[in-house]
Amino acid sequence: MKMPLTFVLNNQQTTLEIDARQTLLEVLRNQGGMTSVHRSCEEGECGACTVLLNEEPVNACLVLAASVQGASVMTSEGLVKNGKPHPLMKAFTDELGIQCGFCTPGMLMNAYALINRAGDNQLTDQIIRKTLEGNLCRCTGYVNIIKSVHTAQKAKLAGEWW
Amino acid sequence: MPDNSAGNNAMRNTVMKNFIGARAMPDLVYHSPKEMSDLMSLFDTHGTSARVVAGCTDFIPSIRTGRWCFDHEPNLIDITKMPVLNQIEKTDDVLKIGAGVSLTRILESPEVKVHCPVLAQAVEQMASLQVRNTATMGGNICMASPAADTVPPLLVSDAWVIIHDAQGEHRVLLTDFFTGPGRSVLTQGQVLTHICIPVKKSNEAAWFQKIGTRTAVIISVVSAAVQVSVTNGICETARIALGSVAPTSVRVAGAETFLEGKPLDEQVIKECARLAAQAISPISDLRSSKEYRKDVAQTLVKRSILACREVLK
Repeated sequence: MKMPLTFVLNNQQTTLEIDARQTLLEVLRNQGGMTSVHRSCEEGECGACTVLLNEEPVNACLVLAASVQGASVMTSEGLVKNGKPHPLMKAFTDELGIQCGFCTPGMLMNAYALINRAGDNQLTDQIIRKTLEGNLCRCTGYVNIIKSVHTAQKAKLAGEWW
Repeated sequence: MPDNSAGNNAMRNTVMKNFIGARAMPDLVYHSPKEMSDLMSLFDTHGTSARVVAGCTDFIPSIRTGRWCFDHEPNLIDITKMPVLNQIEKTDDVLKIGAGVSLTRILESPEVKVHCPVLAQAVEQMASLQVRNTATMGGNICMASPAADTVPPLLVSDAWVIIHDAQGEHRVLLTDFFTGPGRSVLTQGQVLTHICIPVKKSNEAAWFQKIGTRTAVIISVVSAAVQVSVTNGICETARIALGSVAPTSVRVAGAETFLEGKPLDEQVIKECARLAAQAISPISDLRSSKEYRKDVAQTLVKRSILACREVLK
């Protein structure tokens, strides 16, 4: 069944024509043009499609698009401001938290939410590992990803963040 | 979250063996009622094509893998937008959790932490943060998987569920709720609205442990929950539940009665765990062999009782 979907996508009020059977992943990629949302396992195992739904990370492949009516959705495209990469993205490139890059957009969104939630509390390796447990990376062995999150949090505490 | 799995003509339980890959979602109509009366009238209008869902984190993969298919367009009724099903309340001696509450909210709820810590312990080990943000406990129960991780803690807490239909509300003990793998007493036109848990007393302790092939995002190979109440060093009541070892999560009555009236010393705990493992006859499947499951069940029961004893010290 075709239906209109109105929601906030990366801080912009958006209305898209969707099919009720589409998942948020399909709508974001096909109608929304947000190709950073990666399609992989489609059953919630890998986290490559992680987006923020009302500021909480969710697997876009397991959310019916119809259910986000009126909600706010953020993808990693939304992290870029005036063509400048987000400090979190910079931390990932500086600390080599990226190799092939397939898992990166999902990692970024989950890490972004984690750092925002943490506030002034220093994140520990244990908390980062526990939070990112739903994001699979087959290249880095996670060590550099965890370093990247630490570096990003330092950037946030230093005031370079949006 | 489907409202029933048995006896629905709209759904054929066609299992496609050796099928790998994603199937298309069937054409569907999406409804998100706000009030219970809206939901009941949707049941009236759509009859057998009405399907209740909540987080959809198990519903979507069930269709994708071909475990489920529909003869005609299902009318999905999403209950997560209903305020009345989105609350955690504590009334007198009961903790009442709405079927639409996400697992993350259960995990972070101070009431759950104080009054039913064993549930929080189980939820913390379930799936991933992303799935917990979407999935609900109502869905976990209604899918009636023998490996559902919220079920053993609820069984040992003596929980019951509230089911709503055209006649009104019914109360069903969780021990009577499941009828088989993927099957429950829910029928067409019924919806599970709340899960009620008696609050923990000061002389009670409960523990949950699970084993899987990794610690995160994994279906349990075996899970165990234990609740004991102890007065003057003697175990008064004991409840032991095991998951993934039978067609539904099960309580092991023999081991429970063995423990009651005895001090919780090493010898008693060891024998109790042996009895628990003896009472079950798990199957071998792609996750584990039956021998391994029996072995691990015994160990988990032992460790859980020891942990309860530690908590009560």
